[in-house]
Amino acid sequence: MTNQFKVTLLRVLAIQVITLLLLGWLQQHYSA
Amino acid sequence: MHPLNWAIVVGWLGYAVSHGIRRSKNTKELEGYFLGNRSLPWWAVGLSVMATQLSAVTMIGTTGQGATDGMRFIQFYFGLPLAMVILGVTLVPFLHGARVYTAYEYLERRFDAKTRSFTALLFLLSRGMSASTIIAAPAVVFSAVFGWNLWWCVALIGVPAVIYTMVGGVQAVTWVDVKQMFLIVGALLAVVITLLIKIPLSPNDALHMAGSAGRLRVFDFSFSLTNTYTFWSGLIGGTFLMLSYFGTDQSQVQRYLSAKSVNEARSSLLISAYWKIPLQALVLLVGVLVFVFYETHEQPLLFNPTNDRTVREAEPAKYAALEQRFHAATSLAARDSLRTAAYELTSTVTHQAVKDVRKADVNYVVPRFVIGFLPIGLSGIFIAAVIAAAMNAISGELTSLSTATVIDFYRRWIRHDAPESHYLIVSRAATVFWGIFACIVAKFAVNLGSLIEVVNRFGSFFYGSILGVFLLAMIPRARANGAFVGLIAGMAAVGFVNFSQPDVSFLWHNVIGAVTVVVVGMALSLAQPQAVEAARAS
Repeated sequence: MTNQFKVTLLRVLAIQVITLLLLGWLQQHYSA
Repeated sequence: MHPLNWAIVVGWLGYAVSHGIRRSKNTKELEGYFLGNRSLPWWAVGLSVMATQLSAVTMIGTTGQGATDGMRFIQFYFGLPLAMVILGVTLVPFLHGARVYTAYEYLERRFDAKTRSFTALLFLLSRGMSASTIIAAPAVVFSAVFGWNLWWCVALIGVPAVIYTMVGGVQAVTWVDVKQMFLIVGALLAVVITLLIKIPLSPNDALHMAGSAGRLRVFDFSFSLTNTYTFWSGLIGGTFLMLSYFGTDQSQVQRYLSAKSVNEARSSLLISAYWKIPLQALVLLVGVLVFVFYETHEQPLLFNPTNDRTVREAEPAKYAALEQRFHAATSLAARDSLRTAAYELTSTVTHQAVKDVRKADVNYVVPRFVIGFLPIGLSGIFIAAVIAAAMNAISGELTSLSTATVIDFYRRWIRHDAPESHYLIVSRAATVFWGIFACIVAKFAVNLGSLIEVVNRFGSFFYGSILGVFLLAMIPRARANGAFVGLIAGMAAVGFVNFSQPDVSFLWHNVIGAVTVVVVGMALSLAQPQAVEAARAS
């Protein structure tokens, strides 16, 4: 894996994790 | 429809067509017409990639799904960001670097002519049919909601897209896509704001109401091969589906082949990696808020006006009784069960399956809200956005169908050495042919409800298998015969699973197809040199 690919992969994964956490919070907070 | 709404819709269609034609430069050569001279900026290509995937079905069907089923549909896209990163380092450099017009052209360079022609033929069959369903889905809704003639609805969506695609090729498609993406996102945001104003609750209370009704449930971590909307189906099956769609489907590949460089092509795909899930969340949120709106206002028992009228005429007493109980019901569960009873009554009257009645009704939830409750002007903008979404998807398909027809068949098998001007005439004729084909099939597709499902199922038979062939293309030891036999084996494996286990979600068909092609293709390729050497030795 090239460094550029690693950086891109990490960036995309980080954004996805943040999005999933937000969606998880939405579900948890409002479904209670 | 109000004259102001008409003016907005007609004005936008006129703008889209004239903008597409105006932004087309150097379309006197094939490379300019089909690939924009490989000079389009990454952000325009990236928005066009998103626009091609976002059709009117998203605006009507997915928002309706948000209202009736909640946010869980978003799990379908969980594999997309990962797929985009994988494509950025695998297929994108291969295809862009090969300077091909179509993805299938690359397969002839790597394998042989029969693999290229067969995959291109599968593309033409599936995309030719799906182009018609893209037009049919919104046309039937417009026809039922506004009472317009169906041919007129089909023409309203199909004709402007055919005109600017035929004249301007991929440049017209890309630049119109960019403008229309702004219209679509703007219309969705405006509807969300209007809903928050119209709902007699605070945004916090509105979300609590949606949450308590299960409409904000996003995650389902159960592992099920039969359920499309789970975390694992979306992440694993979705990754393979998105790899197939963005990596091997000419309607998407053509978008990023028109980028200036490999890096720009990669960057264009990353726009989807970052923004597709938030955009889909916005689409579903519209539906969720429409659900809350209807919970705080009087709502129709059946949203589909055609079914509503038919059942009201055929079974007036039963329908009136159901309607009375529905409006008197105080709980969501009671309303849901009465609506199911209405679906069953509709099924008895119209002889459609209950699931088809339910599925069709979902498509009318948001259009009925738009027509009945959005302010004049804003409803016109939303209708224009639905038509824009349909045009984005159809124009992307038309230009790719035309490219595959001319490059993979006409130039390859019929006339190799004609001047550019000749190929351009044939390309424009092919665009018009596929446009007329899509419009005519769309007219009949609406009367054959299950045809749309048949087309989708047909596509899922070979989507993963084609991905498998492209994966083989990147493995140096893979050989042409292995790839071709692997492709057939992959399709046969998916067909076998489809008929023996019909409940398995189509998302898993892609995984099965791709893995079978790679395994069979590699086994045959590795066996081939040994067989040749053995023959030589004997």
